[in-house]
Amino acid sequence: MLRSLTAGIVLAFAGSRANVTRTILSCAGIVVGVGALIMVVTAGDLGQRYATAFSEANAGRAATIEAMVYNPINDLAAYEEDLVRAGAQDVSLYQSPQNDTLFRSGDEAIESVSVTGVDATLSDIRRINLAEGRWFTEADQESRAPVLVVNQSLADFLGDQTELQMGTDRWIDVRVVGVSESSALDGDWYSAYLLRSPVSEEIIFGPSWDSEIGGFQGGGEDMGVTHLARVDPSDSAADQMDGGTEFTERMESARWRWSTDDQFEYFAYRSDFSEETDIVITVMSAGLLVIAGITLTTGLLGVLNVGLVTVRERRRELATYRALGASRFTLFVAVVMESVVVSVVAGIIALLLSFALVAAAGAIIGNFVALPPDITMTVPPSAVLVGLLSAAFVGLLAGIIPAIRALRASVVAGLRE
Amino acid sequence: MSFDVPLPVAVPARPATVPLLRVEGLTRHFVVSGTRIDVLRDCTFDVSRGEVVAIIGQSGSGKSTLLNVLGLLDTPSSGSYTFDGVDTTALREGRRSRLRGEGVGFVFQQFHLLERRSALANVGVPMVLGGVSALRRRARAKELLESVGLGHRLSSQPHQLSGGEQQRVALARALSREPPLILADEPTGALDAASSTMIMDQLIEQAQGHDSAVVVVTHDPKVAERADRVVELVEGRTH
Repeated sequence: MLRSLTAGIVLAFAGSRANVTRTILSCAGIVVGVGALIMVVTAGDLGQRYATAFSEANAGRAATIEAMVYNPINDLAAYEEDLVRAGAQDVSLYQSPQNDTLFRSGDEAIESVSVTGVDATLSDIRRINLAEGRWFTEADQESRAPVLVVNQSLADFLGDQTELQMGTDRWIDVRVVGVSESSALDGDWYSAYLLRSPVSEEIIFGPSWDSEIGGFQGGGEDMGVTHLARVDPSDSAADQMDGGTEFTERMESARWRWSTDDQFEYFAYRSDFSEETDIVITVMSAGLLVIAGITLTTGLLGVLNVGLVTVRERRRELATYRALGASRFTLFVAVVMESVVVSVVAGIIALLLSFALVAAAGAIIGNFVALPPDITMTVPPSAVLVGLLSAAFVGLLAGIIPAIRALRASVVAGLRE
Repeated sequence: MSFDVPLPVAVPARPATVPLLRVEGLTRHFVVSGTRIDVLRDCTFDVSRGEVVAIIGQSGSGKSTLLNVLGLLDTPSSGSYTFDGVDTTALREGRRSRLRGEGVGFVFQQFHLLERRSALANVGVPMVLGGVSALRRRARAKELLESVGLGHRLSSQPHQLSGGEQQRVALARALSREPPLILADEPTGALDAASSTMIMDQLIEQAQGHDSAVVVVTHDPKVAERADRVVELVEGRTH
């Protein structure tokens, strides 16, 4: 059995090498089919990674809930404790300052900088890509100057970052510790993350903030607070369809701890779009897979056709093998393996072409769009595996029918041809 | 008693030659469009090692059918065919293939060399089927091609060789697994006189030098003359 199998494989390789025209003819359809499949898997993988990166950088990792309270909070620490009790694994302030924040570098004023007051834990909730420097640390809390991470556009504009000042009613020196990477995920506008610390609280929360009590004094529209909270995706509060109702109810049940306002105005919703992304990618991949499947089937029929024709043409050759001692099994293996060898060779060609195509596409796209740093245009290992396995499988399928035909043929009649 | 007289020496009796193949009452018929055609009828003969037997007969007398049965490519309709002590009529397909590969070397009138393969690769095919390693296969094929005078045409493909050279490649291929039986179907039918003589010389040398049995189907009286024995087929019967 083993000898027959080995002999069949050796004859298959020799046959493929000897019949180059037949091999090339059989290859063509498979190259297109397998290439299409590899490109589909690559596109799906790239889309998935890009969408995940986009979602994680702009809206948060799964599952991120944006929670906004419009009631004056008189104990922010208690409120944040309750966010954790409500199911949050990581919590970060995500607050735009109530008053316009101005920046200047030397004598040059910079307008329209979008500032967001955050905690260092934001990096656990959102993907932060840094081009230079670092993200906030606990030690930055002790800084006597507000600490910033600015985006690349702002950093480029500033040039010398050491002279940066910001202010609402007066200028104060600020310290820039990092620059977040500009990518396709960012616009060209200027933005900065401002670390919440004793020196930045007044900028972030406005004049109503009372640092003594850790809450707002008085009442009014300018006292809303926004947080990002990352909850377990399997938590029922993370259910997209729920619309944040459950999380709101959990927070409302503990409202007495941090707000004495009779009117409860709370808004929570799931802000990351990983679920929508998954659905879009799944639907898109299914559609592309159908197309690739059709192409691959066409390739299979091509190989099958060439296989059937060549078995008819090769009756004398196959009969000679039998006369020289090849068993039926050896012949079956030889014919099937020839088809598999041809298909795998086609699969390898398709793979090389796909690598070249993806690299070229990456170079072209790179001229127009800056992809996130951890997203590279390349054929993923899953596509390589799917491509080669499907090529071998198609070869196997396409080889079986000609092999059965070859076995049925009369040896004596074949030798007479 | 004189010690000068040499003592009689016991000479062992030569064992009776056991035929390599024995055919008894063998028949083969085909049914074509409902009509039975008896191609072989009651064939009986045997062939021993070292013997060259020519099977002669007119066209349609059943020579090729008999050769196919002897080469285990076809099965008889009745009668028995014993090859090297094995009754082949009841053998299953796998065993028949193995016996054919190990025991029979074919030389065809049209050579049946594999196109687009070198002479070396053609000679190596039976050894591939026999599980011989690539290295040994190559060495043995080279040796055989040299022995038939084709040491300089190792990498030539069939279409680059003359008829005589192709037949010598086919002969080398038939000998590659040192089979006890060589079956040659009109081996000189497509060759000129000089090539025919050379091929017959080598077949006879194989029988005598390697103790193989050689069965040659021919309608050429010159070829038949060189055989040790002639079996004539007349309307499917041996004479």
